[in-house]
Formats: sequence, C-alpha cells, structure tokens
Amino acid sequence: MNKYAIPTLKEEIEDATVDAVLSLDVDKYKYGFESHFETDKAPKGLSEDTVRFISAKKGEPEWMLAWRLDAYRRWLTLTEPTWAKVHYPPIDYQDMYYYAAPKSAQKPKSLDEVDPALLEMYEKLGVPLKERELLAGVEQPRVAVDAVIDSVSVATTFRAELNKQGIIFCSIAEAIREYPELVRQYLGTVVPVSDNFYATLNSAVFTDGSFCYIPKGVRCPMELSTYFRINEAKTGQFERTLLIADEGSYVSYLEGCTAPSRAENQLHAAVVELVALKDAEIKYSTVQNWFPGDKDGKGGVYNFVTKRGDCRGENSKISWTQVETGSAITWKYPSCILRGDNSRGEFYSIAISNGYQQVDSGTKMIHLGKNTSSRIISKGIAAGFSDNTYRGQVSAHARATNARNFTQCDSLLIGDKCGAHTVPYIESRNASAVFEHEATTSKISDDQMFYCQQRGLSEEEAVALIVNGFVRDVLQHLPMEFMVETQKLISISLEGSVG
Amino acid sequence: MSAGPVLKLTEAETTLVAQLGARGAAAEAERLLGAGLPTRRVEAYHYTDLRQLLRSVPVLAEAGPATQGPLSIPGAVALSITNARVGPIPTLAQGLHGQKGQGGVLAQRDDVLVRLNSALAGEHLALEVKGAVTVPVVIDRRIEGAASHAAGAVKLFVADHASLTLIEVFSGSDAAHVGNHATAITLGKGANLTHITLNVMGPTATHFATNEYHLGAAAHLRTLVVQAGGALSRTQLFPTYEGEGATAAITGLNLVGDGQHVDLTMDALHAVPHTASKPLFKTIARGRSRAVVQGRLVVARNAQKTDAKLMAQGLMLSDEAEILTKPELEIYADDVVCGHGSTCGRLDEDHLFYLMSRGISKSVAETMLVRGFLAELIDPITDETVAALLHTLIDSWLER
Repeated sequence: MNKYAIPTLKEEIEDATVDAVLSLDVDKYKYGFESHFETDKAPKGLSEDTVRFISAKKGEPEWMLAWRLDAYRRWLTLTEPTWAKVHYPPIDYQDMYYYAAPKSAQKPKSLDEVDPALLEMYEKLGVPLKERELLAGVEQPRVAVDAVIDSVSVATTFRAELNKQGIIFCSIAEAIREYPELVRQYLGTVVPVSDNFYATLNSAVFTDGSFCYIPKGVRCPMELSTYFRINEAKTGQFERTLLIADEGSYVSYLEGCTAPSRAENQLHAAVVELVALKDAEIKYSTVQNWFPGDKDGKGGVYNFVTKRGDCRGENSKISWTQVETGSAITWKYPSCILRGDNSRGEFYSIAISNGYQQVDSGTKMIHLGKNTSSRIISKGIAAGFSDNTYRGQVSAHARATNARNFTQCDSLLIGDKCGAHTVPYIESRNASAVFEHEATTSKISDDQMFYCQQRGLSEEEAVALIVNGFVRDVLQHLPMEFMVETQKLISISLEGSVG
Repeated sequence: MSAGPVLKLTEAETTLVAQLGARGAAAEAERLLGAGLPTRRVEAYHYTDLRQLLRSVPVLAEAGPATQGPLSIPGAVALSITNARVGPIPTLAQGLHGQKGQGGVLAQRDDVLVRLNSALAGEHLALEVKGAVTVPVVIDRRIEGAASHAAGAVKLFVADHASLTLIEVFSGSDAAHVGNHATAITLGKGANLTHITLNVMGPTATHFATNEYHLGAAAHLRTLVVQAGGALSRTQLFPTYEGEGATAAITGLNLVGDGQHVDLTMDALHAVPHTASKPLFKTIARGRSRAVVQGRLVVARNAQKTDAKLMAQGLMLSDEAEILTKPELEIYADDVVCGHGSTCGRLDEDHLFYLMSRGISKSVAETMLVRGFLAELIDPITDETVAALLHTLIDSWLER
C-alpha cells in the first residue's frame, strides 16, 4: 500500500486481519506458549499414596483425606463411559502426574511478590489480573480473579473488598482449611462422589479450584472469575469449583481455560458444583479454549468435565453460558437440577470444532419441582475433519407439575469432511409438563456468501460474519468481557476452514 | 476365554441360548452367552432394557393350522403366517407372485432382535409385485395355541414402477407369546408402496418386529406402524435410501395403555444424494404406561441435498404415563436440510374449554381433540376400506 494514501476501510480491515493472523502462534493457537518456572510434582501415577500425598501437600484435615480415599476406592470399581460420540486411544492413568505446583517457598502476599515469569504468562494470556492498575487509578472493568496454574491456585484478587460484604472467594484448598463447615455441608452434594468415572477421579485427586460463597441477600458487586491453565507436561488437571449462592443473592462467574501446545494429550477432569438457595441466582459463563491439537490432530487436551447446578430453593435460577472452541475432545454437560418450586435453568452454548476436534457436549435439565422451567439454546459449528455432537437430556419427574422446557439446537456444517450430530433425550413423566424441542442442521448458503463477498468481504471474513450471526442468540447472554473475546475466538477457530 | 467377568444369564437368556443351540446357530448362542440381552447401556435400547423387561421366553412355536385374523378387509388378498409357518398361498391377483422360501430375510446388522430372527426363522413368505396392484394385500401373522416363541419372516420385492398396499396384522391367542417378526422390503426404481403394520397382540404378549426397507431411485414409501397390543412391544424401522430421488413418509402411532411398554425405533440411512424423508411419530399414553420413540437420521458423507425432518409428538392422558423420546441426527454431508422436532404435553385446556363452552361434553371433546391429533397419520391413507379399518381400531382403543 502507498504509505501516503489514506487507507480505505477495507484496507484497514485487511491490515487488521493480517496483523491478527501474524500474531498467532504455530497452528493458530495463540495460547500455545509454555512458561518455564520451577514446579513441584507428585511422583508419576495414581495410588492411595498419591491421594495421601496431595492431601498432605494441601495440609488437609483428616475428613477430607477420608473423603478422597473413599472416592479413589470407588473409582477403582468404575469403568470409563463409552456412550459419547468420541474416539481416542485408551488413557493410561498411571502415566501422568496428578499434582504439579509452581514452586515458591512462600505464598506471595501481593502480586508484586509473584514470580515475574508467572506474571509474564498472565500478560500473554490477557488475564485481567489488574488489581494494581486499578489501585493506581486506571479505569478497568472490575473482575475479581482466581488464577489456577496446573494444580494450584496462585492468586486471588479483590479479596479484601469482597470480604467487606461477607463474600468468600478463595481457592478451595484454603476454604477446606478456613471454612471447613461450609465445605463439608456442600461439597459433593450436587455431584456425588461416585457420580461418574471422571467426577470420581476428580474427587480423589482434585488439587485446587475456586470456592465462593455469597451470603444472604448480597448482590456480588463484581464479576468473579477463575482462570485455569495447564502448564506442565504429562500433567492431569483436576480442579474443583464450589459456588454457593445463599438466599436472595446473585453472582456472575466467569471461567477461562488455556494450555500450551504439546504433541501429547493432556487430561483435564474438573468438577463444578453450584448451589442456588431460595431466590438466589447464579450466572456461570465459560470460555473454554484448551489447546485443540495441531492441524493433524496431534496433541490437545481431553476435556472430561462434570458441571452441575442445583436450584435447591424456590424461585432460584442457574444459567450456564459456554463457548467451547478448544480441546481435542470435549465431554461436558453443564446441568441444572430444578429442585425448588418455580426454579429456572438456562443453558446457552456455542461449540465450535475444527481440525480433528471431537465435541460431545450439551446439558441436562432435571425437573423435580413444580412450575419449573428451562431453556436450552445450543449452536454447534463443525468445520475441518471434526465431529460436533449436541447431547442433552430434559426430564420431568412425576411430581414436576407444569414443568416447561424449550430447546433449540442448531448445527452449521462448514465443509464436507465434518459431522454434526444431535442426540436429545426427552423424558416426560408428568402429563402437565410441556416440552418442545427443535433441531436443525444446515450449511452457510451460497447466497449468503455471495452477498457478503460481493460487498468486498473476503471468504473468511464472510464466514466469520455469518457465523457470528448464527450464534447471536447465545452471544447476547455472555458478559461484556467475554463477548468481545468470543467474537475474536470464533474467527480464529474457523480460520482455514474454507477455500 | 476373555478375562472379563462371566455374565450370569437371566431365565430368558438361558432359554434363548438353548433355542439357538437347538437350531444349530452356535455362533449366535455363543455371542448371547457372552453379551446377554441389551441393557440401557446399549444406546439403541436405552429406554427398553431387554435384559430387565424380557423375563422369560416360551418354547419355540410348533406348526399349527392356519386361522383367520381378527381384522378383515373386504376384497383384499389374504395371506397368512401362523406360528412362523407360511400358510397356503392362494392364486394371486395379476402382477402378484408369492412363494415359500427358506431361512431369514434381514440383512446383517448389529442388533439382537435382527440376529435372533435371522437365526431362528425357518422359512419365509416371499412376495413379488409387478405393475400396479390395486387390491390391498393382507398378511395375518398369528401365534396360536399355548404361549410360544415365533420368529416369522416376510420378503417383498416391488419391481420398477410397480405399486402395492401391504397390511400386516400381528395377533394371537390370549397367551404370553413372544413374537419376533421380520419384514424385508425392496423397492425398485419408481416403485410405490404403502406398508401398514398393526400390532393387536393380547395383553400379556411380547411383540418385536423389524421392518427393513431398501428404496431404489425415485421410489416412494409410506409406512404406518400402529402399536396397540402386547405388554412389551418394540417395532424397529430400518429404511435405507439407496437410489437418488427416493422419498418416504415413515409414520407411526403408539396407543399405549395401562401396564404396557411400547417402543418405536427408527434408524434411517440416507446413503445417496437427493433423497427426502418426513418421519412422523405420534404417541398417546394413558394409565401407568411407558412409551418410547427413538428416531435417528443418518446422512452419509456424499448424500448431499438430503431433505429430512423428523417429528415426534406425544400426548399424555394420565399422570402415571411416561413418554421417552430420543430423536437423533447424525450428519456427515454439509449441503443438507435436516432437522427434528419433538413436543410432549397433554390436551390443550383452551381447546377443551372452547368445545365444552359450545355444549360438547368433556369426553366427546377429548375424543374430538385426540382424533384431530391423529388425523395427520390417517388422512394420507387413500384406500377407503383401509382407512375405515384404522378408524375402527383407534376408536375401539379410545373407548376401552
């Protein structure tokens, strides 16, 4: 371009696109870097000793160790589930590390004391650990962050301010030590110890995660956020999140995940438990961008996650919003148990798969209480050689009078080497329950592409634009911070899918 | 031997293994010995756990005299299969040819009912249609006498541009029979078939039926599966769209009453470009009962321009009834229009109120609404005598 000419809008967009592409790492995964700092690991493999080692490392009370050992023994009796439409070689559970922590003699008291290599990593991640800037008077969106690297929570920001309102936001390890009563009361009540193979494994070896308690009537003044990252090689990440919204409270929670690019597969088996008491509302948003594997399908994270919310009290509400763009394999069904009368569950999902990714994700809405309602909007986009499955269950118990569900799941196929599948389980055991389900599969029409390209957009820009329109219903439910990131993610995830 | 735990066989499984052994199907017996009947962990049987539901299997059916079925259609060609034996074949109408054949009729498939039928069916009725046959053909498939296990089979070939209406009526004496029936149908180029199956088995019977369809180019198929009888019933529909331009309206109706478990499962494969299907399944459940509807649409990689839309609708007339629905899409081609929809609920209060406010009694109003719900299935049946028969069948179920 002539440097004296005033750039046209189109050229500016082109330049921005070129810059965006150049800034990407190998295989277009911009979080694929690896940070080098010393870590402390448990011996490889899984045994009762590993479980004891983890429990001892965390300085846990006896009851917690007993809980873990019980889970471990139950896990030995379980077999891996095979019903999902995903394929992978058998996982050797003895060939990985179950505990890895960034080595530091003492826990840092402020971010200034944190290892600079760590901070640098956060900068690369774009994690808003911006407490310092905020203190210096720089205007930033206020988000309290709990950052979890490999197995350990390294920093939680804004704690003092949250404490003033009685909100507890800390790592789960800390909560087990500081608030054992609360943890004992709620841990494992939403996802029981032996719920499924991966949840049971997690119960035995979980190393850290976030804990959050919102007291009665408190509206959490800022977004709470957890950032997960697997950094070590051959390390499984097993974090556990427990979030309790007491009567009449409200909280919005964000979760983000990334991992370095590696040729081997890494296992991530997390458990998230949400409890909403009477009149409480929880909004849980996830942007999952674990390393999806390279363009030949090598490496990537196996993301086998159990997420469940329990609308325990009357009029409670839990809303899951997820953007799934990463992971070689995703096996994830954020669910709502609608126990309280008049409670409401929502699930909004965008799942994008490219390359050789396999996604089997969806939700469960279990209607137990009267007048409970749920809404499911799922948008699956499959490109490359990927397979993208929506699997969802809606069920009404015999006592769930006037239960109501609306489900809409749409799939978009880009290219003829991928697959899009829909597997809903609709179980009605009450005559007054009204369930509606609709699913469609289509491709981007030639007319849409022609229209966009004729107006000067490149093929990839046109695809990104149309896809952003396709997922609009879900995007609207994301918090502002995530919405912008997600739109960018969508265009990056689909790069190379056309032409 | 494998290192896995040895399966403890149920009574039904033990009998089936022995029956397979007696018929010389050693490989099938061995397989059943190892795997047992499917449980809910097998996706295709997720809601119909055969291991739990099929408690016992009676002895294999002995040959018996052919008898008349419970439903008759004036003017129709009448054929029969009694206790899995092909009855006498009368002189058939112009263009229709029938004979007795040996062995089963279904293509190999990883499904226990298909395997059992293929291994145990001793003979089958083979029908061939050339040209347009205007009178309907009725096959009475009965199990007579004391409780027995019958594996009957029918093969139908509809030649290029030929057309036919085929009705199969499944009935039996009032005993705890286990019927595991098969029907394999091939439609040639431009062939046109209406296939209606009626399950009116006794209240203690178990009824399994597998209908396999191969659709040639520009062939058109209409099916209506009505399941009204039996304590445990499962009809499986396996249509394969093999020729370009093939279209089908696959429809089914479950009339499920107190104590019944009724399953209607479809697994369709769109194998070539430019095919279309509109599966429509309706269920009415009352009393303490369970209805299952599963429908899977598989669109192969090269089956571009497939147009398929599956609809499953449930109507619940009691609080003890269960309707379990699993519509599935499995799509590998990108230029397709595919979808499914599912609704479930009870009769609309507003509609009832509208009718009752005009002086219609509650029970009559309900019947009117139920008939309206079912009209979509019966209206497309053009043969008047057949349509009348269906109406009678439905009305008698509603009045029961």
